[in-house]
Amino acid sequence: MAKNEQFVPARYQPTLPLDKLIVQDGAAGAGDRMELDVVIVGAGPAGLACAIELAKLAKTGGPELNIGVLEKAEALGEHSLSGAVVNPRALRELFPDLQDSDFPFRAPVTKEAVYLLTKGRKIRLPTPPTMHNRGYYVASLCEIVRWLGTKAEELGVNIFTGFPAAQLLVRDRAVAGVRTAAAGLDRDGRPSPGAMAPNDIVARVTALAEGTRGLLAQAWCQWQRVPSENPQIFALGVKELWETKRPLDRVIHTLGWPLPTDAFGGSFVYPLEPNLVALGLVVGLDYRDAGLDVHVLLQQFKRHPLLAALLEGGEVVEWGAKTIPEGGFYSLPQRRAGDGVVLLGDAAGFVDVPSLKGIHYAIQSGIYAARAIFQNLKNAESLSRYDDILNKSYVATDLHRTRNMRLAFRDGFYLGGLQAALMMLTGGRFPNGKYRMHADAEVARRSSSGVRPGSAEHPDGISKVDAVFKSGNSTRDTIPSHLIVGPDVPAEVARFYARMCPAGVYELGDVGAQHAAPLRINAPNCVDCKATDVLGPRWTPRERGSGPKYKRM
Amino acid sequence: MKIAVCIKRVPDSETRVKIASDGKSLDDSGVKFVMNPYDEFAVEEALRRKEKASSGEVAVICLGPAAAQETIRTALAMGADRGILLQSDRIPADPFEVARIIAAELKSTSWDLLLFGRMAIDDYNHQVGALTAELLGLPCVTAISHLEIEGTKGVAEREIEGGIEVVEFPLPAVLTADKGLNEPRYPALKGIMAAKKKPLEVKPVQASAGTFEVVALSPPPDRKEGKIVGEGVGAVGELVRLLREEAKVL
Repeated sequence: MAKNEQFVPARYQPTLPLDKLIVQDGAAGAGDRMELDVVIVGAGPAGLACAIELAKLAKTGGPELNIGVLEKAEALGEHSLSGAVVNPRALRELFPDLQDSDFPFRAPVTKEAVYLLTKGRKIRLPTPPTMHNRGYYVASLCEIVRWLGTKAEELGVNIFTGFPAAQLLVRDRAVAGVRTAAAGLDRDGRPSPGAMAPNDIVARVTALAEGTRGLLAQAWCQWQRVPSENPQIFALGVKELWETKRPLDRVIHTLGWPLPTDAFGGSFVYPLEPNLVALGLVVGLDYRDAGLDVHVLLQQFKRHPLLAALLEGGEVVEWGAKTIPEGGFYSLPQRRAGDGVVLLGDAAGFVDVPSLKGIHYAIQSGIYAARAIFQNLKNAESLSRYDDILNKSYVATDLHRTRNMRLAFRDGFYLGGLQAALMMLTGGRFPNGKYRMHADAEVARRSSSGVRPGSAEHPDGISKVDAVFKSGNSTRDTIPSHLIVGPDVPAEVARFYARMCPAGVYELGDVGAQHAAPLRINAPNCVDCKATDVLGPRWTPRERGSGPKYKRM
Repeated sequence: MKIAVCIKRVPDSETRVKIASDGKSLDDSGVKFVMNPYDEFAVEEALRRKEKASSGEVAVICLGPAAAQETIRTALAMGADRGILLQSDRIPADPFEVARIIAAELKSTSWDLLLFGRMAIDDYNHQVGALTAELLGLPCVTAISHLEIEGTKGVAEREIEGGIEVVEFPLPAVLTADKGLNEPRYPALKGIMAAKKKPLEVKPVQASAGTFEVVALSPPPDRKEGKIVGEGVGAVGELVRLLREEAKVL
């Protein structure tokens, strides 16, 4: 490929292996089989809220329900990562008898600031109306999830940590349950001593709350041909937790440097405690420069005077990364309920980018789904009731109001910012209609050699190797690769993967050598952020205990 | 075969532990607790013995706070039949006190086998199993890596410096498990469901401090920073010199 050539990532991306993901109930290959009333895939805020509300409904209005939540992380919360500033609205609805002070929040937001950064300088901006956070709380999603897990178990919910759902079990067009991933396979996929065969969990209703870029949610939408007006688009967030010597008393958001103007994103800096600061950089995966590296940009960002002063003498205690579904209203699947199945939280795309929030929508979608599931099991009402409740709720209204705001930034930072400002002034009415988006993988990338702003070749700060260590990742080295890489990946695309992946999973092979593959894959490094699933190699779940072990992310 | 396994709830080895403000205990907040890994070998061995005998009972005993019920449930999910929590918010620093409490619980039942982990990864004392055996007047083999049982006779192997020691002993006996004894199983889905319904008895105990007192805890000193001598063949000479003269390993 010559200098400044373009390529489209989708061309090198394997298709979703639907034949492997959708399996007839009763198909060979499973060990144990277990029957539940409801199986929920994913113990995040959406899945656990669903389990809690359902267990409460069953307790007061009968019949008794057997509810199970499958979670791929070895322990609750270890795969959960968010900023986060949380709107307590949905938690109040889930626990009407509790006060805000009972929730596992860290501190209320009292002061906030938004800055436009240039290299070395900062310009204070008025806080956009969507980004006002007074009355909300800084929190760690790991801690929220562990707390919700305890509440769910108190109500008799079965939580199965370390059991990743890998396949959908189906009967005709109905979802009948899930099959979990096998454990204890060697590099070639053969069982080693102590291996565990997949388990089949069949249930009357399956709730897919897998989180961002959910594998089974994607598979179901494709299999049942459930479209959305726009394809879902994603951002990649890379986050660090710091113990600082200096206290921080406000939540900070920044725009601008070190991002190039044709990338959408910004940073967040939140104090969990005065001297315990969560910070991160989020960049839309429709960035044009194939050399952009979000992890490296975050390292640059920390050298800005605004951050350098705060972090001086401090210590990074955790690191993590996760994608965020950013498409908003027009990217929601046209229906989030089908025969025996509902889609919740990030897996459905309930995130509002202009306010940078998704946790309360995830919890709220779990509550609504639980009510619909309960009516379905008790009175045989259709699960489409879930969609009806959602469409009439504040979740839909909020997302509709900001429906084009993120999308406007496909035109770059300045033009996008201008359009977004007009949308804000007109309450979402400007402009008429809908912005049409391409899937991130369809956006052409500039591939040029050399170091340019925003695509530094030499990482400063924390290396990707150290970053993976700080994520707590201690995945067994001998697991089979869980990533499906397309055939014939050229060196330019391999380099794009290597830059994109914040965990150093993809490394450029020795391109000069004969017969050398351009890509070396360190699969155990993967922290399940799903970025390459959006733009390149497909992700599948690994055995229990794999991936990061986040504690306070 | 009636088997008792004594387990301990300890901080996960991957947890970044912090010393509490009193300077002599660990700060519990944000710490993930797990079953002591050596105790997992003990639980697994007990389950295999019971399965081999195709009858009997595996009881799990734990001295610890209320939250240690979770640790016991893990053992029940693996397949143990019942659990007993000797509940105390403070675990004495003196291993003899711990052994005294455990022995008092164990002596009321006649066991064929009593299993412990070789040591707990939080305090590295290696003492509770052997002290309990002494208090109960039973033979004890520590740090076993292989076990055969025929009737009322057992043969255990211990990995010692440069070889393997083979020890014969009569049942009942106390054994402490080392790494290599077996590969502990993960709880199966059905095991996790079943564990919820298995009996778990909680007995409050009075733990006296014993004769030990923890005076202070301190973290290990920071490791000295590494040095990159250079790259390629040219760096070898300097590396050898440093290894010989500074590190003194050659």
